Amino acid sequence: MGIRNLLFEHRDVENIQDIAVYEKHGGYRGLKKAVKMERSAVIEEIKTSGLRGRGGAGFPTGIKWSGIPQNDDKPHYIICNADEGEPGTYKDRELMLKLPHLLVEGMIIAGYALRGTAGYIYIRGEYVEPAWQVRKAIDQAYRAGYLGKNILGVKGFNFDLYIHMGAGSYECGEESALMSSLMGERGQPRLKFPHAPYPTVEGVWKSPTLINNVETFCAAAKILDMGGAEYARLGTERSKGTKIFSVSGHVARPANYEVEMGTPLMELIEAAGGVVGGALKAVIPGGSSVQIVRAEDCPRVNLDYESCQQNGTLLGSGGFMVFNDRTDIVLLMKRTAEFYMHESCGKCTPCREGTRWIYKILDRITSGGGQPGDVELLLDICSQIDGRSYCGLGDAAAWPIVGAIKAFREEFDYWIAHKRSPVGPGHVPPTPEVVNPLLTLVPA
Amino acid sequence: MATTENGPGALEPRPAPPKEQRFSLNAIQELEEIASHYPERKAACLPALWIAQREYGGYLTPAAIQEVADRLGMSYAEVEGVATFYTMYNLRPRGRHHLEVCTCLTCAVMGAYDVVHELERALGIEVGGTTRDGEFTLSEVECLDYCGAATVVQVGDRYFTHVTADNVLNLIEELRQSEEYTPVKLADAIVKLHLPGSSQTGGGSRTGEQIRNNELY
Ligand SMILES: Cc1cc2nc3c(=O)[nH]c(=O)nc-3n(C[C@H](O)[C@H](O)[C@H](O)COP(=O)(O)O)c2cc1C
Ligand code: SF4
Ligand code: FES
Repeated sequence: MGIRNLLFEHRDVENIQDIAVYEKHGGYRGLKKAVKMERSAVIEEIKTSGLRGRGGAGFPTGIKWSGIPQNDDKPHYIICNADEGEPGTYKDRELMLKLPHLLVEGMIIAGYALRGTAGYIYIRGEYVEPAWQVRKAIDQAYRAGYLGKNILGVKGFNFDLYIHMGAGSYECGEESALMSSLMGERGQPRLKFPHAPYPTVEGVWKSPTLINNVETFCAAAKILDMGGAEYARLGTERSKGTKIFSVSGHVARPANYEVEMGTPLMELIEAAGGVVGGALKAVIPGGSSVQIVRAEDCPRVNLDYESCQQNGTLLGSGGFMVFNDRTDIVLLMKRTAEFYMHESCGKCTPCREGTRWIYKILDRITSGGGQPGDVELLLDICSQIDGRSYCGLGDAAAWPIVGAIKAFREEFDYWIAHKRSPVGPGHVPPTPEVVNPLLTLVPA
Repeated sequence: MATTENGPGALEPRPAPPKEQRFSLNAIQELEEIASHYPERKAACLPALWIAQREYGGYLTPAAIQEVADRLGMSYAEVEGVATFYTMYNLRPRGRHHLEVCTCLTCAVMGAYDVVHELERALGIEVGGTTRDGEFTLSEVECLDYCGAATVVQVGDRYFTHVTADNVLNLIEELRQSEEYTPVKLADAIVKLHLPGSSQTGGGSRTGEQIRNNELY
């Protein structure tokens, strides 16, 4: 347990973005192994590894891959979700900046195993710097014969890789909204299983489509190189391998840390240099969509899917935010609510209206106008959103609020009773005075 | 129901946007290359809007939207729907430098609001405003996803990190001297990212097809 640099093994090698350096450090070995195997054996290798999707939901990758039909004549599309938008998360950014070839290799392996026609990397519009590294990697991979026609001499193995830049929308990280956006539409989600086939059967342009996160593809490349069984030796019973956590907030050394699954949460805080500016108050371990954990509960939590869930939170995307005792939880949740209100795509009522109500009530409380019963009202609205929304964004807007009320109920009550922060002067985030957050709602 | 927002006449058909064709020959070639990446032409809508944002000087006028619609065989309404959905398409002119300060969770607890206040004071504008000389537009944005380097400010295609209320004025001075981070440059960078070979030629490539056939090298 603890820090385990697997994907990050060569992160700090100088010029590792260059294909020659990457190859010198074992790059494209996984792909070369893969093309000598049966396609189904490659999928089997991923299954053996126990890898689960690193984009947030943790869906078993091997099962997803085997959902792509084997014997049809439709085109197959391989999509990488590089829309990284979850507050607190910046692992895909570093993977693309430092190890773009690892991502490209992972996607080509998927292209081989699933008889892909073309691949698209959907990168959020703001990520210009990381995207340039990916652009360079793709161009180099074409030149080296890893992309294009008859790749590595395998007759009929043709695979093209394209970059598709987003234009500013968190919702486009949701996979069905991403498909809409890739097809040139507003970034709104599409009908899902059981009301529509899985994307692996009918995704973009009515063809079988695989969507995985950047980290998932990178892990797939490593797995083909080291072997699925070897990868599965890392981690816990049901959470295999390593996971990258983006540590931010009140720690001495905020950065991306790759740890073996099952590492105690407190160990990660230590690795990041410990808490600064005060004592530890709370941790959000998996991005803004997951429930906050009180300091007292942190020692119980291990960083794997099961342990997080048992402790009332989620591993999510690995956006690990640390807060010291200057942090006002209610104001933090108000800012969280503002995020979801802004990012709600407006397609369904529970989320579009609900996120606004959550924000308005939290704004009222933190402006000194809180009324008895406001907390119950919040819980009621959240229960009307959770499970009743068209896509996961609605649920993700409700969970952190419910989680914070569970963990820090007394702070909400304090705000309502005393009309000021329980933390006292100098709390963060500050109560906005001049800035009118609603201004950000005016369409650009 | 009459909409109060747009006042009387909101229900009358809007005048057709002026027909204007500002895409340069190079831009048209870029668009055709990008459109060839997808099985359907419409999929090039987002990149086409990026091209338009560059060709029309950093923001999308109705004429720009119309030109994209014409070139992709889409309706004006469809393209407008896309253009208004995404926050990075500008529907109004922006300053030469668009300061987009992240005030999301981590940045908010690490002092992003102090940065915003300092900028408002120094530039004499509020969030959402543009300075009289057209140099700076100030916006608050949601998480830029580099939270470990809070506070993060995006200007054009570049992230400035570890910005504080104390050092933000240096950033302003640096930007005043610079032509590097304008909205047009940002749009251009994003267009180029779609083009095969652009990392090697440093510019647009009309050889995407050749690259895919392994002919270029
Ligand atoms: C609102 C919302 C936002 C999401 N944002 C992202 C994202 O930025 N990146 C990502 O990889 N997955 C994101 N996801 C998860 C994707 O829908 C999808 O599960 C994932 O890309 C699948 O890849 P994986 O199996 O490799 O994790 C988001 C989901 C929701 C509901
Ligand atoms: S839950 Fe509904 S309104 Fe919210 S983002 Fe999803 S589809 Fe859009
Ligand atoms: S909170 Fe500012 S970059 Fe994520």
